[in-house]
Amino acid sequence: MDDKRAAILSEIPRLRRYACSLLRDRDSADDLVQDCLERALVRLDNWQTGESPRRWLFTIMHHLFIDQMRKVNRRGEAAMLPLEAGEAQSAPADQVETIASREILDALQAIGPDRRAALVMVAIEGFSYAEAANILGVPAGTLMSRIARGREELRSLLDDSSRRRSIRIVER
Amino acid sequence: MTRRDFSERDIHMALDGELPGEERMAYDAWLEANPEMRAKSARYIADRAALRAALAGVMDEPVPARLRQAVLGEAPARTPAWRSRWWLSAAAAAVLIVGGFAGYVAGTGGIGREEGADDQLAEQAIAAHVIYAAEKRHAVEVAASDKDHLQTWLSNRIGLKLVAPDLAAEGFELVGGRLLPAGERGKAAMLLYEDAKGERISLFVTAESSEAAKGTYAAEADGPEAVYWLDKGYGCAVVGSLPRERLSEVAKSAYGQLLAGISS
Repeated sequence: MDDKRAAILSEIPRLRRYACSLLRDRDSADDLVQDCLERALVRLDNWQTGESPRRWLFTIMHHLFIDQMRKVNRRGEAAMLPLEAGEAQSAPADQVETIASREILDALQAIGPDRRAALVMVAIEGFSYAEAANILGVPAGTLMSRIARGREELRSLLDDSSRRRSIRIVER
Repeated sequence: MTRRDFSERDIHMALDGELPGEERMAYDAWLEANPEMRAKSARYIADRAALRAALAGVMDEPVPARLRQAVLGEAPARTPAWRSRWWLSAAAAAVLIVGGFAGYVAGTGGIGREEGADDQLAEQAIAAHVIYAAEKRHAVEVAASDKDHLQTWLSNRIGLKLVAPDLAAEGFELVGGRLLPAGERGKAAMLLYEDAKGERISLFVTAESSEAAKGTYAAEADGPEAVYWLDKGYGCAVVGSLPRERLSEVAKSAYGQLLAGISS
């Protein structure tokens, strides 16, 4: 196995985590990772040795994700509303999710794809603003406003779902 | 120590490690003096911790074999038809959220990858709708006044028991139907409906579907939208330029009735 492939292989866990934050369904997330890996291998020459494959791979995956989201759902951001608990797509049986993590992952899914990607890139994947802006192909100012709005949206979605939960408890 | 006014923006920068080191002390002092901002910062930190915790498990999972194989070049090449359809899942999630489709979409067992036939069906359905729904006098071959004949004829041609759904409750009356090509060599039935304002929707039904596939959704940039399903032995799409939620409602009713008709 050559060094390039080995380096790509070691990035898979991170790519999967990013994909899981973008897409709620685990199989779909792995499909996205697979698409990304396949595209990366075709373009292996574009990647210069010595450079970490991480940024390169995240850029490829992000483009795959955003292009398709735009194609499929032009009005995505406005149309995304929070899922009611129980309406959420079911998580695979082999995946144990606590209520708290289910709730926050559902909320993450409900924020617009652009904001979701920006927030996760920085808050979970640990890229700097400059790196994330580069990967996402937007100016740093746009990235910052997406992060700020994404965080605020996430907060209010979580507040809503905990409010709904308490209403349900009261009703019982 | 630098002196400057801080704002909410700095909360994000501090959180993301983007605040210049020499401003840190001044920022901390500012936060200390602003309970509201301090609470906001604490909340964002807590949300981030919860998000990290929720996603941490993925990192520890063994890498799925198919992903290893993709990198090592051991996987058989995927044909275009087998292209993954992860993005449909994303689109379907949008439908779940918007249309309250949870019941039957989730009921199909989740959204996964499927044959390329799904978007092909939707594209054909949309193309047919664009052409025929615009026709005033020649929109259909057989009018609703001859409904029994219409149903028998189309059922025989497409090889499915077709019962034209009653969408009166949704405000739509059957205009009629026509026979269309579908897929490579197949046939499809198109049923056209109209509401009191002249708004038209069409149902596109075909038996040309070999794979059990999952409910999903396709959208064009500005044109009409299709809500569609594929299952073993049939596929159907509901096309229209209605507001999405309304289209979802109509589609849901139509689909339920079509399914009941096919299996009756």
